[in-house]
Amino acid sequence: MAATLTANAPARPRKLLASRRTRVGIVYALPVVVYLLVLFVYPIFSTLLLSLKDADGSFTLHWYADALTGVNLSVLITTLRISAETAVLSLVFGFVLAQAITRLRPVWAGLAMLVVVVPHFVSALVRTYGWIIMLGDKGLVNETLTAMSVPGAPFQLLYNELGVVIGTTSMMLPYTVLLLYGVMRGVDRRLLAAAASMGAGRVTIFCRIYLPLVGPGLASAGLLSFILSLGYYITPALMGGPKQTMIATLINQQVTKENQWNGAAAQGVILLLLTLAGLLLVKLVSSLGASRKKRSAS
Amino acid sequence: MADFGIAAPSVKVADGKSATATGKSLSVVALRKTYGGVVAVDEASMEIEAGEFVTFLGSSGSGKTTTLMMIAGFCEPDSGTITVGDRDVTRLAPQKRGLGFVFQQYLLFPHMTVSENVAFPLILRGVAKNEIRRRVGETLEIAGLSGFGGRKPRELSGGQQQRVALCRALVYRPPVILMDEPLGALDKKLRDQLQVEIKTIQQELGLTVIYVTHDQEEALVMSDRIAVMRNGLIEQFDSPRELFERPRTPFVADFLGAANFLPGRIEQHDGEHTLVRLDNSGGLITARRHQLAANTPVKVAVQPGRLRACAADDGFCTGTVETATYVGTLVRAGVRIDGGDGPLVRLEVPAGRGPVAGERVGITADPEDVNLFADEQAG
Ligand SMILES: Nc1ncnc2c1ncn2[C@@H]1O[C@H](COP(=O)(O)OP(=O)(O)OP(=O)(O)O)[C@@H](O)[C@H]1O
Ligand SMILES: [Mg+2]
Repeated sequence: MAATLTANAPARPRKLLASRRTRVGIVYALPVVVYLLVLFVYPIFSTLLLSLKDADGSFTLHWYADALTGVNLSVLITTLRISAETAVLSLVFGFVLAQAITRLRPVWAGLAMLVVVVPHFVSALVRTYGWIIMLGDKGLVNETLTAMSVPGAPFQLLYNELGVVIGTTSMMLPYTVLLLYGVMRGVDRRLLAAAASMGAGRVTIFCRIYLPLVGPGLASAGLLSFILSLGYYITPALMGGPKQTMIATLINQQVTKENQWNGAAAQGVILLLLTLAGLLLVKLVSSLGASRKKRSAS
Repeated sequence: MADFGIAAPSVKVADGKSATATGKSLSVVALRKTYGGVVAVDEASMEIEAGEFVTFLGSSGSGKTTTLMMIAGFCEPDSGTITVGDRDVTRLAPQKRGLGFVFQQYLLFPHMTVSENVAFPLILRGVAKNEIRRRVGETLEIAGLSGFGGRKPRELSGGQQQRVALCRALVYRPPVILMDEPLGALDKKLRDQLQVEIKTIQQELGLTVIYVTHDQEEALVMSDRIAVMRNGLIEQFDSPRELFERPRTPFVADFLGAANFLPGRIEQHDGEHTLVRLDNSGGLITARRHQLAANTPVKVAVQPGRLRACAADDGFCTGTVETATYVGTLVRAGVRIDGGDGPLVRLEVPAGRGPVAGERVGITADPEDVNLFADEQAG
C-alpha cells in the first residue's frame, strides 16, 4: 500500500501538473489519500516501528525472536491450524449450502440467502453465547444426543478445538455462502447441458466443467475465511480452552494485562505478513494454473 | 479450405469398436410441449431418414428450439415419443442419446482453450492422445481455425466461436447432429461459406442433421427436406421443391415463396386445370387442377418469380407499374391492378427486359405455378 502511494507521488514532468485535468484529478484523489494515510499507513508504520524498538528506544529484532519461539510459536501454529480447519469446513458447508440455494426457485433462494445472512447482523458476542448455550453439557445438542441414547453422549463440544472450529466456521459461513452463491449463479447452466449433449455424465460434468468454473470463487472464499479467522478474537477466546489460545487473544493479553506493546506489535506485524502471504499464495496458484494451461494448449 | 480431409468413414465410437460413421434415422411421434398453458409444440410428428438433412423453418417463437431440445433430451415432452435408430430415447438422459448439439448461443467452455473445447468429446470417449491431437487439428483446419487452438473462447470473434462450436459437434461424428441456428450470428459471406462446409461434411460422412433456421434461403440451399413450423405446428414437411412449388397452406406459400395472394372464386374445372375468376380485376386465371367446387371462394397464390409481364390485356390481369427496383440480375416490380384496391402485385423478372415505372403491363403465369387455397375468411 505504502509502496504504491510513493510510486504515484512524484509527478513526472511539470506539464502534467499544469494540465487542468491533472489538477482536478488531484483534488478528487485527495480525500482518499488522506484517509489512507491517516487510517492505514500511519497505524501500520507506527506498529512496525514499535515492534523494532527496544525498551531504551534502540533498534532490535528480539520481539520477533520472542514471538517466534516457545509458547508464542505454538500459539501461532494453533492459529494457523484453526484458521485452516475453519477455512476448509466453511468451504465445504458453504459449497453445499450455496449449491442447494442455487437449485431453489428465485423466491425461495432469496429467502434462504436472507436466513444465511441475517445472523451476521447479530453481534458476534451474542451468537457466540448462543453457541455456548447450544453446545454445553446440558445444551440442546447434547440433550438431544443423550435422549437418542447415542453412545458416548454427552460429548465435550466446548472449550476445545472442536468448539472453536464450530464457532469460527459458523461465523465465516455467511461470507463463503454469499461469495460462492454469487459465483455459482454466474455459471451458465447451459454449459453443463452442452457437456451432457456430448456424452458427459454427472461426475465428469461436475469435475471438468463445474468445478473449474467455480474454482476461482472457491479459492477466494477459502482465503477470505482463512484470513478472517487468523485475526478472530471473540469466538476463540470464549469457546476454546487455554490450548486454543489464538494470536489475537495473545496480543490482547500482552497489551491489557502486561502492558507489553512492543511484543504485541511484533505479533501484529507477523499476523499481517501471514495474511499477505496467504493472498500472495492464492495469486500465485491461480496464475500458475493459468500459465500451465496455456503451455499445454500450444 | 476446399479440402475437407475427412477420408475414411471409419471412426472409433464410445465402446472402442470401429464403426462406420453413418447417420441414424430418427422419428418423432405426436410430440407435445406446453409451458403453463402456452402450447410451444403441438403434436409434432416426422420420420427422418438416416443421412438426411432436415431443417426446421419457422418464424421466431414457432417452437423450433423447443422441438430440438426435446429431441436432445434437455426438455421433457408432455407426451409423444422420440426414436433414434430403433431405440426409444424419449425418457433417456441427454448424454445417453448419442446425439450432437450445436447451440444457438455457442456455449463453449470458457475455461478451456479452443483445442481443449474441441477435444472434450473425444476425451470423454477415451480416444488415444495422438488420435485426439490429429483429429482436433484436422477439424480446426476444416473450419479455418488452425492458428487458434491455444486461444480461449473469449479471445475469438462471434463467428470464430460459432465455428469452434461446430467443430466440437463434428469432431466426434455423432450419428445425429442437432443444430440450432448455428450460423445466426455470422455475416452473409461467412454464412454462405459455412453452409457449404456443413453440407459437404454431412454428405461425406452420411450424417443425419436436424438444422434450425428462420432464413428461407439457407433452408432451401441446405436441406433434403424442410419442416415449416408455425405456432408449434408443423405446417408442411417436404422437399424444398415441393414446398416451393406445391405449398399446402397459404402460410407456407407466403413464408417460403413470399407469394402474391389474389382473392377469387372457382369458375370451372377444365381438364387438368381449374379456372378462377379474380375478385379485383374480374380476369380469369388458370390454375393447377383443384378439387374445390365451383363458386368456392379461394386465394390464388403465385410467387413473384413465377409471374411474367406481357402486353397489356394479354394476361389474366392488367395494371400499371408503380415501382421497379433493380436488384442485381432481377427487377422487382410492383403493379397496381386495374380496378383493384388490394396490395400491389409483386413481380420478379430478369433485368433488361424489365418493366419501368408508369408502364402498363399485363400479367401471366404458367398454370403449374398457380396454387389455390380455400379462403376460409371469405363468405
Ligand atoms: N422455458 C420456457 N418457458 C416458457 N415458455 C417458453 C420457454 N421456452 C420457450 N417458450 C415458449 O415456447 C414457444 C416456442 O419457443 P421456441 O424457443 O421453441 O421458439 P423458436 O422457434 O426456437 O424461436 P426463435 O427463432 O426465436 O429461436 C414460444 O412461444 C416461447 O415463448
Ligand atoms: Mg430458437
